[in-house]
Amino acid sequence: MLYLTFFVYPTIEALRISFYKWSGFSKEMEFIGLHNFVRLLRDTSFHAALKNTMLLLLVGGAGIFVLAFLFSFLLNSGIRGKKIYRSIIFFPYIVAPVVHAIYWGLLVYSPRKGILNSLFGLLNIKALEEFAFVAHDHIFGSVLFVVIWINVGFYLIILLAGMDRIPGHLYEAARLEGANEGYIFFKITLPLVREVLTILLVFWGFNAIRMFDLLYAFGGLLPPREIWTNAIYLYIVGFGKRDPIFQLGYATAIGFVTLILIIIFTVLIRRLLRREIYEY
Amino acid sequence: MISSRAKFGRIISHGFLVLWSVSVAMLLFWTIVASLKTNKTVFRELWKLPQVLNFGNYLRALSELNFASYSLNSLLIVSTSVVVIIIVSCPAAYALTRMNMRWKNPLTLFYVAGMGIPVQLLFIPLFKILSTISLVDSPIGLAVVFITLSIPFTVFLLTGFFVTIPAEMEESAAIDGCGEFRTFYRIMVPMAGPGIITAIIINFILLWNEYVLALIFITGKTYRTLSLGLYNLYAALQYSSDWVSIFAGSVLVIIPTLIIFILLSERLIAGITAGSIK
Repeated sequence: MLYLTFFVYPTIEALRISFYKWSGFSKEMEFIGLHNFVRLLRDTSFHAALKNTMLLLLVGGAGIFVLAFLFSFLLNSGIRGKKIYRSIIFFPYIVAPVVHAIYWGLLVYSPRKGILNSLFGLLNIKALEEFAFVAHDHIFGSVLFVVIWINVGFYLIILLAGMDRIPGHLYEAARLEGANEGYIFFKITLPLVREVLTILLVFWGFNAIRMFDLLYAFGGLLPPREIWTNAIYLYIVGFGKRDPIFQLGYATAIGFVTLILIIIFTVLIRRLLRREIYEY
Repeated sequence: MISSRAKFGRIISHGFLVLWSVSVAMLLFWTIVASLKTNKTVFRELWKLPQVLNFGNYLRALSELNFASYSLNSLLIVSTSVVVIIIVSCPAAYALTRMNMRWKNPLTLFYVAGMGIPVQLLFIPLFKILSTISLVDSPIGLAVVFITLSIPFTVFLLTGFFVTIPAEMEESAAIDGCGEFRTFYRIMVPMAGPGIITAIIINFILLWNEYVLALIFITGKTYRTLSLGLYNLYAALQYSSDWVSIFAGSVLVIIPTLIIFILLSERLIAGITAGSIK
């Protein structure tokens, strides 16, 4: 019941609102059909937000999964302290996004006097000593790194658990027959964690496309347009302090494009990775 | 030759892992150190330890900036929400895994789909609903939002645990004359204990760290949560430039998750992995 009232009903209601022009305060809602969606096609801010959403999804995802596989390979090579490393890498995932935004924004990336700039100064790397990490041109890349840094631990622990279930004799047999590490990874590890990988990719898609907390906090009081994603743009159009008239109909239209994006991504991942599940 | 190459590889791996771990530790270290400095020295002497430990920063944050009452708000709202989430999600997850309902598969999909809906899409309709029943700017209203939005994920996580309990358990309980409800509360819930504990921990952490929903649904000052209080302080930075209070606030927000991490990280990691891999 609760789920129906506060989750399902709002979703349907949102779909309805997206066909209207509505400021939220007045009772009157003007039905304008698909006009909100047509307007999106011509909105350059929306194009920028969409581009950032895709960058976050694809580049951020690539960073997270490549690093997670790299870490799992290093940790599974019989290294000492596997559990401790794993826990430490996971830790940022459970720290509040606001705290991350404050730490990275004020201490690490802070121009001139921040940790990174002064570190590069100490190392005498002139090119990076003055590098402005949070300038409008660079802020999205800087945030992207933080996103990867925070999330990699979560994907790592699940990937490791998936790998732990692969029976060791498969590896022994492969090594006896002289297979190299690369061959083992692509022919044994990767196929056998496919199921887990599918779940993780879908989960990343869900979270990347609707990511909000960290990005919004990172921008301070008024996040610059360079870090807007669909989620942020929706919020700014709907609730933002910049616009006196709250364009709620338009905002929900953005939300629906985002939802469609999530659905496309999920279907795509499932198509690409759906094959018979290996029995072992 | 091979052994020296392996040794070299091992040093490189350790080096990389240590470097990454240090970057994580720096988050804690630098935030705590910065919270004990003064507004004058915090950036000018970034690389120095504070000469005097200014615990006064914490006192000021707790009393003048109301962080004490924000903490209390967070604690009350979050723990109430977590309790209700578990009470609602357990039977739902159990029903989804066990009952031979005609609608089982569509229903499961229905819940999983809830995880994929962009939360931002729901802000506006939810705000509309809550304002009609005048629960905007109320701790109850925020708890209701917290609860509803956490249910899909929690149900998903818990089904992972209920699936692993063999069906023979219920059959033998039924033979011994145990009713369906009693079977559920006396046998299934304790069996799924690790899963329920994981769900409690995860929901607590997520809701404790949450500030966006609070930002939307808590419009006044009285019922702000701790994370929201910290966000507001950070967003208003250009007017106040009270840096050290922000870092003290950060530490206050981190403390509960850090305690959970130190005491329960193995359990949490085991629970997440068991719940998501079926």
